[in-house]
Amino acid sequence: MPYLGGEETVRELRRALSNPNVQSDPLRYRNTILKVIRTMSQGVDVSGLFSEMVKACATVDVVQKKLVYVFLCSYATLNPELSLLVINTLRKDCQDPNPMVRSLALRNMTNLRLPSLVEYVEQPLTAGLRDRAACVRRVAVLGWAKLHNLHPSSEIDAAVVNELYSLLRDPDPVVMVNCLRALEEILKEEGGIAINKPITHHLLNRLKECDIWGQSEVLRVLQRYRPQSEDELFDILSLLDSFLVSPHPPVMAATLSLFLSISSNLPVISLAALERVSGPLLAACGSGSREMRFAAVCHIQLLLRSVPGLLGPHYKRFFCGYAEPAYIKERKMQVLVELVNDENVAMILDELKGYCTDVNTDTAQAAISAIGRIGRSYSDRCLQILTGLLGLKQDHITSAVVQTMRDLVWVCPQCSDTVCLALDGCEETLQDIQGRQALLWLLGVYGERISTAPYTLEVLIDRVRSEASLGIKMELLTATMRLFLCRPAETQDMLGRLLHYCIEEETDMCVRDQALLYYRLLHCGIEKTREVLQGRRSDPSLGVLIGRPAKPVSQWARCFNTLEPLSQGAVEAESDSRGSPEHVTYNSKPNADLSDTLSCSHIEEVHSGSDSAMRCSDSSTNVLASSIAAPLSLSLSPAVSPEDFEHLWLQRQALHTERGNEMEGYIEN
Amino acid sequence: GVCHSGSSASISPYPVASSSVTPTLTMSPFATSMNLLYCLLSPHLSNFASKVLICRNYKGDVDMSEIDHFMPLLMQHEEEGLLCPVMSHGNVHFMWIKHSNLYLVATTNKNSNASLVYAFLYKLVEVFTEYFKELEEESIQDNFVVVYELLDELMDFGFPQTTDSKILQEYITQEGAKLEVAKSKVPTTVTNAVSWRSEGIKYKKNEVFIDVIESINVLVNANGSVMSSDIVGSIKLKTMLSGMPELRLGLNDRVLFGLTGRDKGKTVMMEDVKFHQCVRLSRFESDRTISFIPPDGESELMSYRINTHVKPLIWIESVIEKFSHSRVEIMVKAKGQFKKQSVANNVEVRVPVPSDADSPKFKTSTGNAKYVPEKNLVVWTIKSFPGGKEFLMRAHFGLPSVENEEAESKPPITVKFEIPYFTVSGIQVRYMKIIEKSGYQALPWVRYITQSGDYQLRTNV
Repeated sequence: MPYLGGEETVRELRRALSNPNVQSDPLRYRNTILKVIRTMSQGVDVSGLFSEMVKACATVDVVQKKLVYVFLCSYATLNPELSLLVINTLRKDCQDPNPMVRSLALRNMTNLRLPSLVEYVEQPLTAGLRDRAACVRRVAVLGWAKLHNLHPSSEIDAAVVNELYSLLRDPDPVVMVNCLRALEEILKEEGGIAINKPITHHLLNRLKECDIWGQSEVLRVLQRYRPQSEDELFDILSLLDSFLVSPHPPVMAATLSLFLSISSNLPVISLAALERVSGPLLAACGSGSREMRFAAVCHIQLLLRSVPGLLGPHYKRFFCGYAEPAYIKERKMQVLVELVNDENVAMILDELKGYCTDVNTDTAQAAISAIGRIGRSYSDRCLQILTGLLGLKQDHITSAVVQTMRDLVWVCPQCSDTVCLALDGCEETLQDIQGRQALLWLLGVYGERISTAPYTLEVLIDRVRSEASLGIKMELLTATMRLFLCRPAETQDMLGRLLHYCIEEETDMCVRDQALLYYRLLHCGIEKTREVLQGRRSDPSLGVLIGRPAKPVSQWARCFNTLEPLSQGAVEAESDSRGSPEHVTYNSKPNADLSDTLSCSHIEEVHSGSDSAMRCSDSSTNVLASSIAAPLSLSLSPAVSPEDFEHLWLQRQALHTERGNEMEGYIEN
Repeated sequence: GVCHSGSSASISPYPVASSSVTPTLTMSPFATSMNLLYCLLSPHLSNFASKVLICRNYKGDVDMSEIDHFMPLLMQHEEEGLLCPVMSHGNVHFMWIKHSNLYLVATTNKNSNASLVYAFLYKLVEVFTEYFKELEEESIQDNFVVVYELLDELMDFGFPQTTDSKILQEYITQEGAKLEVAKSKVPTTVTNAVSWRSEGIKYKKNEVFIDVIESINVLVNANGSVMSSDIVGSIKLKTMLSGMPELRLGLNDRVLFGLTGRDKGKTVMMEDVKFHQCVRLSRFESDRTISFIPPDGESELMSYRINTHVKPLIWIESVIEKFSHSRVEIMVKAKGQFKKQSVANNVEVRVPVPSDADSPKFKTSTGNAKYVPEKNLVVWTIKSFPGGKEFLMRAHFGLPSVENEEAESKPPITVKFEIPYFTVSGIQVRYMKIIEKSGYQALPWVRYITQSGDYQLRTNV
């Protein structure tokens, strides 16, 4: 961080530190050192004061010592030579009668992170393991882990490992837990600390002495244990029962994880455990801390995958508070969608309806899409709400509603009549690309039932010159083609204009190619065109969808109580909600783009790979087929992220070289 | 939506999460299996530039400079509406909380246990607040030596160590002229059997003050139906007792039955009951006695939550009529739905008004109404509100002929109050026995109070 006058400050501090008058006055000396630390924490590089600070380390004043250690630990790696000078003071402090001084010295000795100091540190660390004060032993135990971390490849003395194992029986619970942590680190290569029956039982018996951090640690490590008999398993489970309903979410979650892992082949037990934790989990959903609430809701989403009905009666707990952050509201709405049943659907929809007009547009759109999801099972009620929302004439709401309707008709074609009626006039309110694309798709697919469809398209075609979005142009092409098939008289002229523009004037290759493709397709005759453009429809026999099949617990048990559920769930639900494969293209998720772009490369591959007339005709159908599967697959519009692009580029480059080599070989032959 | 901006693949598929925590008050990482960095960042309001106030790299496997990505990431997510308490940059994950003007950030490169990290960050806030009263940029800067000391004791190598603030106090050499004291002081609890209480405490007059405090959270729908309600209770102690006293607290049975889950029919079910670590849980489980050696000074002995249908103690009916381009008329009726003998004090009914409203006029049957334009609220204050009574407030605002185009949120009406000598759940302290081997007499004092928590009533407008 830039800091004006940094050099000047450092010079001044150096003068003060080496001033004998300052050094002889403990308070002034300490205050000067304080200034150094303050300057350091402001981002100024004060590493130049290292040797002065090393001198300041030799003091009886604990406060001064602590300050100097803060400094040394920050800069030691830059000055390994000078740091050697501190080691004597530190080693002397390790003999101090005051356990606080001993633990302080030991901790900082290991925090210097200097491989060159290892030989000086080992002896005090060994002594520290046997210190009579628990606070020193705590530090010493972790010190060995730090030492190992400096030299991950070097073996730690077996005697030390044995001593650490025996310290698992230390009377101080923190020493015990630190031993677990240290052994996990030191024995990482061997898969961590050996968890056998005596150790497991010892740890379980002492679990109550630990604080929540220690309990979480122990419970995590015990996940590796496999009870030897069913009796033992049940003993462990009943011993852990009170932890399963612990009011501390981390402990409760760690216990559930342990339950799920040791009873992984007894689904009945797992389910019982899930039911047992629903109380504490719900309580965590009402926690005062929004982050805890968020974590709890995300984990509930995992549970619901296996036990969808688990929290049905408690749906009101997932109603959103006015001041809750959007990320919690979004997750809560996802949960509400899962909890819908015949009894509560009216209440839930009523509540969700209220969120649709939230000032936060993301929340509003998430609410609308949630209603759409419920619409798969309760179409009429939901369509009524969605149609009502169109009346508000707010662009972000209309956009979300149209997108939601598009997704809904794909899975529930029986809704299409209502949707067609509702769309009338929406085009005036729609602003954003996604919403307009959705409308275009609907106009293309259901054009025969929407009387104003040709007029809406015509306005857009007249303005296509000033249209900036690639996606809109592509969608417009497809929609006009489709409408032409069912209402040729009204559409022929505008289709001609659109194709002409796209082929003659459009500068974007994707749009041009797509237009050319359609143009040639029309040459193949109307039947062929119909086959291609209307080939893919959702199955009209799809009925009302009821729930999702429950998934086995094992599918998510491993990521329970980690970071994963917090960053994952939303993405999954999101892609789920995009029902129709045709829409995948509009999804701005990087992986969707990637697959599209890959399908694009597939087309090219077919072209370049064709070396006989026979294969050529094959490939032309392939081209069609792939363009049907993803009609906009030539679109690169939702930008590929730089990493993805690079990846793709390298991949294709490799492909080309390979092919080039093949060609060369061919020519030589 | 969560952090899938090209870094979504960064969650390492470690099968087992480590439970060590990585807060970034930018400090160094804690945890063997996870690397934690804590940062305290303070955003400068003017330009969103932020600076790292304190950084502690506990484990060293996340580079200190990673924290520089935090603020840009936060702003980017905020812009995209994807703000989330976990954000990733490369393979580094930032877990953060915000407290007043500070961000406390933990960093880790492991697939760590999220709730544990947040619990630790909140623990930090709790500890710092106890030390500095207010945790904010100024208090960190003024006390950063103590902050460094605390950070050293709270976590080592990324693992939480001593987090009990009573114990921590003994390790911390407060800055100041206590040179000699600092040198010779040995933490007594290091070897003590009772880690939360030091030996040799003396008071001239031995007393214990017990506060039973219940907060009511209510959410009422616009059509007047109660959507959710619960009671969050807390029993707090202020202990001024000499020596190592042994205390026993008796609560009324109704509540205790609820606590242990027996006889679910008649009693309220408590969920989420937490005891201070001093309470002997085994004793409680066997005979429902709450027995303990108390920490000295102030502490929270237990807390609980009751999820039950509570009749909202202060009921609000409101009619808000908005006549576009001309005026808003508000009529609010408040009714005390509690016993006639009780009185609610300092009642505040906060009614939202449109941000472009002007020229307020009020009429109240009791109390004062005041317009707070910076919060777009009318605050109706009633100093003393007896049970069973009903009061009215009318307000009239003008609206400009050119209206605010932006969509406005519809905040609910909120109510604040406190009712002394009363608990909604009916919890009561029956007795408090104090036994100390020196045999002194000590007096227990009990106070009850019920107050509003998150008390919201949605409106039609």
